[in-house]
Formats: sequence, structure tokens, C-alpha cells
Amino acid sequence: MARESRRPDATTPTRRASSAEPLASITRRSILRTPGSHARGGGGPPRPPQGLSASGRKMAPPPTATPHARAAFRTIDSRRAAIFTPHRARRKSLREVRDSPRDFLLSLGRVLARNTEVITTSSSSSPPGHDDKGLGSDGNDTTLGPISLDEDDDDEELPKRPRLSLPIGEEDDDDSDDLQPHRSVVIDDDNFTMQSIEMPRRAISEQPGGRFSMGSVRMSDYFNTNDMLHSEDVGVDSGFFPPTAVLDEGNFTMGVEELSSPERLDSDGDRRGLGRESDFGIEIPVGEINESTFMIAHQVAESPDRPPIGDDEPIYDDYAPLVDQRSDDFDDEDLLGEVPALEEESAEGPSMALHHETELETVTAKRAEVRGSTKKSIKVSKHGIEYPSLPPAVVKRLAQNFAKASGAKGKITPDAMKSIMQASDWFFEQLGEDLQAYAKHAGRKTIDESDVFTLMKRQRQINPNTTPFALAQRHLPRELLQELRMPPPAVPKKRRRVAKGGEDDEVT
Amino acid sequence: MAGQKLYPRATVKKIVKAHSNCNVSKNADVMMFLDYMLFMQTLVKEAAIEAKQGGERGITARSVKKVTADSLAKFRG
Repeated sequence: MARESRRPDATTPTRRASSAEPLASITRRSILRTPGSHARGGGGPPRPPQGLSASGRKMAPPPTATPHARAAFRTIDSRRAAIFTPHRARRKSLREVRDSPRDFLLSLGRVLARNTEVITTSSSSSPPGHDDKGLGSDGNDTTLGPISLDEDDDDEELPKRPRLSLPIGEEDDDDSDDLQPHRSVVIDDDNFTMQSIEMPRRAISEQPGGRFSMGSVRMSDYFNTNDMLHSEDVGVDSGFFPPTAVLDEGNFTMGVEELSSPERLDSDGDRRGLGRESDFGIEIPVGEINESTFMIAHQVAESPDRPPIGDDEPIYDDYAPLVDQRSDDFDDEDLLGEVPALEEESAEGPSMALHHETELETVTAKRAEVRGSTKKSIKVSKHGIEYPSLPPAVVKRLAQNFAKASGAKGKITPDAMKSIMQASDWFFEQLGEDLQAYAKHAGRKTIDESDVFTLMKRQRQINPNTTPFALAQRHLPRELLQELRMPPPAVPKKRRRVAKGGEDDEVT
Repeated sequence: MAGQKLYPRATVKKIVKAHSNCNVSKNADVMMFLDYMLFMQTLVKEAAIEAKQGGERGITARSVKKVTADSLAKFRG
């Protein structure tokens, strides 16, 4: 080593800059090239040309090179060395990949065949030393010499290791291919965990069953409104194509997109199935919400009454003869006396039909009222108080802002807007009930900010990390922020009354 | 929101008042609407995820309906 470093200094002063570091790399490079050279210790006539050819670089790595740069240079050099001795590289890769007994034989044959080759190709001084080493270390036949040489190669060629990672990487790819179907499952698992985390904070009385009973009230509500929504959507169509057409319409929006590719349909089905499995029962209303079939079941079941109820007036007129026909049928059966089960009905056949009609008319009139009121967006709460719903423009703006923020492409369809409006109606209903419970519990008749804070705390919207003020600052404009003086105010009302005076009484 | 008010305060008050059969103190509706905004955020976000998983283009009624129950449950007091 020392001799070697001295020689370049003496001969070529330009390469002096690369005195210490590159020499180390050069020696390693020489080790790479000729395995026997390590035993030799370096030096000897063939050395300097080797160093030059192996590096082959005009610029040696500077002495101040970072370790990474040095490693990079080293790998470049080793690659160069591999290029200069292509057979070795090939052999190595083959040896790593194949492991079957036949391949052992192949590699043995290759080794034996190479044995001579090595002697011929490598520098003149290396074979004896290497042979000695093989004999000395193993103490076996001379045929094992080359094998031991290979092992020595392995030990010394650390920079070559990246070769190993290639097949492993391929294997990893294969694994990931195998695992790919599970990815959706993983995604669903996320949902699952979310729900499972969500669950424990419910009181037992609010567990899915309890809420389901609550939800049933809401579900009837939902049914009506949804019915209205649908009739608004497809009223004319359902007039032409009685009930089943509604089914088609209900599925239509999703059908178009899902049928575009069978895989997607499959995945959707999988996902849906998984989702239903993972739910604990909360999802029962979801299922019913999603499947428009349950709605249709109603419509089919109560064929005479239902369709006109859900539809507009002109469509009701279309349906009216149908109802009459049916009552006429009853009358016929009554006359024939073939169906005794219908006798009760048939006994008052015509009057029944009349009754039906009047009933229908009153019902439809009611419906028309409700419909008209929904168009004016006024509904009646369970306390019998009429209330408006939020203006759709406000909701739409909010939804679009949040959709943009959450990175959803495309715009929100009108149908989706209706669902969102529905959801916000439900939300306010729920909000009102909860706030009422809090206010009543506090012995008040007025819902206070503190109630809302308590509610939001329980909703986990407010926690030590997220103050209501921070939330308000993030979401509310400044003029509304000014109304919210302090987050959890001990005596907020007084202060506000003093501060605000009559400035904003019922500011709309 | 430039020059446009965020929401009709009286409407929100009326809605909550009708549902709760209680009076609503003067500025409580701001927090209520803030809560509503958070709910909308959750709902739309979940709907967007659902739509993406279902391979839909935008947010559709189906995706919204599917996530409505969960979102409401999350905002249950």
C-alpha cells in the first residue's frame, strides 16, 4: 500500500490530489478484479495499469468527497470492472438466482471449466497464490479450490451486493401482486376500525338497536321525503311506466357508471358485501337507504293507494281509472261469488270504491299540501312547529367548498344535492333534540352557547387540541366571529348583552 | 362569501327552535351553524371517498346516502 501510494506521487504529480482516498478505492478495485491480489498484498508490476484502467476516469474522486460520493464512485468503478469482466458478472447473477440441484451441477461444471480459464486469463502471478490459499484454507482436493475462490469473492465483493437485491425485489413484486386483492380489504378495514372506535362512546341505550328504533321514526320521515324526491325526479316517467320503472330510475344513476366495466362492478359488490359484514347494525338504515328496492316493495304492495300518493296531480289522474278498474273487478268477483274471502269488501263494494276514492282524494290533497309546502321548504317538526329548511344555495355552496377541499372531482349532482339537503334536515333535527336535552338537563328553556359547546365536545369536534374558537376562526367569517366572543364563556350572556347592546337583534 | 352572508341566521334559529321546542339564545346559532359546517365537511368528505371507491365521477346521491347515517351517528350528542 505504502509503496503503491508513493509511486503515483513520484510519476504523476497531477494525481497527487487523489492521494489517500482514491488509493484505497483503487486497491479495493484491484481486489475486485483479481481475487488473488488480496493474498498478494498489492504491488507488483501489473498494478499501476490496473488502477488506471479500472478507474478509467480522468477525474479521481476529490479527497474532500463525501462518503456518499465515494460510495458512488466505488459503485461506478465496480460496474466498470464488471463490464471489463463480463463473464464473472453473469456467473454471479446466475449463481444467485438458481438453486436447484441441477443448477448446482451446472455451476460446478462451469466452475471446473472456468478453472482453466481463470488461470489463463488472470495475471500471471495470481494463480499460484490463489491455489495455495485454497489448499491452505480448506485442506481439500484441488477441485475445491475454485469453489473456495468463489466464496472468497463473495466475501470481498461487498459493493456487488446490490445484485442480490434484484431478485428479491422481483419476489417482492410478486408478493405484492399476490396481495393486491387484499388492498380493498385493507381499505375496508380502515372503515371498520373507524366504526369500531366510534362505537364505544355510545351509551347502551343508544346502541344500534336503540337508535334503530329512533331511526324508524326518522325512516318513515325519510320514506316520505324520498318518495317526494323521487316523484319529483321521475314523476312523469313513473306515470308512463308504473312502479317498476321507478325501480329502474332509482338504480339508474349508479347503473350507468358501474356497468361500464365488470371489474368495477365486482369490486363494488365486494365492497358492499364487506361493508355490510363489518357493520354492527348501524348500517341497517344505510342498507335501506341505499336500496331503492324497499321503496318499490311498498309501492308494489299497496298498489292502488301508493302510486297516486307519491305522484303529482296529473299522474294521479292517470292512475285514477286504474283504481276504478280494480274496484270494478272486485264488484265482478262479488257478482260471480267466486271469491268468498273478498265478501266483506264486496258487500260494500260500490260504497267501498267511493270511500276509497274520497280517501284517496283527501290523502292526495294532504300530500299536495305537503308537497306545496316542501316547495316553499316549510315542514312541521314533531313538536308541531313549522320550520323552513336551509336555503339550498347555502347548502350547495358549503358542500361545493368542502367537496373541493376534500379533492372530489366533478360537481355535485342535483340528486346528490337533494340527499345532502335531506341529510342536513336530519342533522338539524338531531341537533335540536340533543340541544333540547342539554338545555332541559340544565334546567333551562333556552338553548345556550354552552349547550352547543357541550354538544360539540361530545361530538368530539372540540377537544383540548381544537378549541371552538379555532374552529370558528377556520370556518366562520369575521362578522360571525365577532358574535362569538369567547369559546367556553362562564357568563357569556351578560357580557355579550353589555357589549352588544341592541346592535344585532335577530340579524339575518 | 364576499359580501354575501354565510347563512340566514333567523332560519337556523327557527329550525332548531322548531325541533327542540326551546328558545335559542341570541348567538347560539352561530355555533350551531359551525357544527353544521363541520357535519357538512364530514359528510362531503366521506361521500367523496365513497364515490371514489365506487368508481363514480363526482359525488352522487348514492354515495351521499350511503355515508349519511354514519355521519349523523358521528354527530350524535
